[in-house]
Amino acid sequence: MMQNVYRHIQADPRFHALERKRRHFTFLLLAILLANEAWYILATAFYPRFGFARLWGEPLAAGYTTTWGIVIGILQTLLYIALVGIYIYRANGEFEVLKNTIVRDALRATGGNS
Amino acid sequence: MKKSSARMAAVLAALMPGLAFAQAAVSPPTNVNAIMMFLVFVAMSLGITYWAAGRTKSTKDFLAAGGSISGFKNGLAITGDWASSAALMGIAALIYTTGFDGLIYSVVPFGAWPLMMLLIAERLRNLGKFTIADIVTLRLARAPVRSLIASASLAFVVGYIIVQMVGAGTLISNLFGIKYETAQLVIGVLIVLYVAFGGMLATTYVQLIKAVLLLAGATLVCGLVLQRFHWSLEGLYSAAVTNYPGGSKVMQPGGMLPDPVSAISCGVMLLLGGASMPHVLMRFFTVPDAREARKSVFYAASFIGYFYLLTFIIGYGAVAFVMKDPQFLDATGAIIGGANMAAIHLAMAMGGDLLLGFISAVAFATIVAVVAGLTIAGASAISHDLYANVFRHGQATDTEVVKVSRIAALLLGVLGVVLGMAFKGQNIAYMIVLPFTVSSTVFFPILILSMYWRNLTTTGVVTGGWLGLATAVILLVLGPTIWQEILGNPAPIFPYKYPALFSVTISFVTMIVVSLLDHSPRAQTERAAFNDQFVRSQTGLGAESAAQH
Repeated sequence: MMQNVYRHIQADPRFHALERKRRHFTFLLLAILLANEAWYILATAFYPRFGFARLWGEPLAAGYTTTWGIVIGILQTLLYIALVGIYIYRANGEFEVLKNTIVRDALRATGGNS
Repeated sequence: MKKSSARMAAVLAALMPGLAFAQAAVSPPTNVNAIMMFLVFVAMSLGITYWAAGRTKSTKDFLAAGGSISGFKNGLAITGDWASSAALMGIAALIYTTGFDGLIYSVVPFGAWPLMMLLIAERLRNLGKFTIADIVTLRLARAPVRSLIASASLAFVVGYIIVQMVGAGTLISNLFGIKYETAQLVIGVLIVLYVAFGGMLATTYVQLIKAVLLLAGATLVCGLVLQRFHWSLEGLYSAAVTNYPGGSKVMQPGGMLPDPVSAISCGVMLLLGGASMPHVLMRFFTVPDAREARKSVFYAASFIGYFYLLTFIIGYGAVAFVMKDPQFLDATGAIIGGANMAAIHLAMAMGGDLLLGFISAVAFATIVAVVAGLTIAGASAISHDLYANVFRHGQATDTEVVKVSRIAALLLGVLGVVLGMAFKGQNIAYMIVLPFTVSSTVFFPILILSMYWRNLTTTGVVTGGWLGLATAVILLVLGPTIWQEILGNPAPIFPYKYPALFSVTISFVTMIVVSLLDHSPRAQTERAAFNDQFVRSQTGLGAESAAQH
């Protein structure tokens, strides 16, 4: 029974369009996340050998003790909350609506109910 | 620096044997405030357990709270599971001793939250029932895969419980002025009561209350710290630089991780391991659907992110207010009770006895709640994965599974107390590497490949999983911590403290290569089943729904 519905959805081009849209969106956010994680880990690993890592130990300005590393860490934490927020905004809104239409049509066409 | 202070301690002890004796003999005073506040928490949590016990009948009630928890409540409960005593006291301790690099334990593992949101949470909810193994065995063979995942889950849970129990015993005896053994027994009895009677429903509410207490306590301490500097972070950091032996080094990377490979391996462990911990992932089955699962991640990530931001203040606050204050230092100038006490001493410095009592009670509640969460994850591995699906081949009745879950909770509670006693006085901080390495090496690759990769086969998962697990354990044993420091050999055979980079790679590569080489008929069926699984993972059709009460 459920298999018929799965097959029907498999054959629905709207399902593949939704899946593609979701995949591209996910990969974009994932790339931002992984770039930041890599940056943080590598800067810690290679401090103070490379230029990009040296920034982490530099004070914000002359006379300050706060370093860029602290500011970057705080901003990254906020960025990660934002990534989660941006994803849920689309996934629980736009994507959920598209998914519900596809599922409803498939259930109607195969005579099933959820 | 360390060596000279140790020598100084020896000299002092030799000169003043009476002083050393007095210090060893005087047990910490009984902390009445802390005990009263902890008793309030115990009374509340036992009341909840009584209420939850009446609502816990089926396996689904016991292991997934009937699938009826809202996203917001689950988010708070996950915050409770995530924020163990390591997060409260461990990060502060690391910043206190090594400076900036302690923050690697805040920022890097927090990346696990977007990772869980993007790749894991909703598919997990759509495909699973009670445990990680449910997702994988939708397509793959039940017995071999469940045995692997349940074994790894138990290694994870037991390793994690030892860290919590031993850390708790030491901390609680310091804070409350009660004996180490008494602390072990209190924790053991409480978690068995919560889990065996109240199941996931009671555990959820215990976590939720503890999360609120922890966030409130940490906020209060941070507020009091910042207020001393007229709400200026820069003021706090310059005070920390003045106090820290290495001066401005406290604000720079490079204090903790000895070489780039260790740093990368540690990062891989924290990120991938953090995103696939069984006691956290199992919480996604307590919500009704994928929508609520996403909401739980959002709330959890907001609370945990906020908590991690507070660690930027608490750790440096301890450097600024504890490091030079004689009331927190012993005769040698070392911090009383070890660096793990840095956050607790800070509470005393900021708010006196009352705040100390509150933070101590929160620390105790934190440990009890985290051990309860781990215990229910362990119980699910024993009852649902091993008993119902491996030994009874899916033929066990609901009543039997609930009964086995309750017995498993009791056994894990007893085991926790026994191991807690056995490891008394040992340096167990290194043991946290075991659970994180196991989850990054076994759970993460299996989850990702089974949800996203059509070609994965049973043979691939089983070969790669066991090989990765074996690599992780062997490299940990041969590494600097166990081989050199504990077994006393002159040099480690494997040079790095964190084997995750190697074991994760071996696990992923083996799973992929073996699956690609697998042309058995079973492999063909498993690949063919991917399409249906894929539709279910995206739409939630056929997923477990909330229980009807």
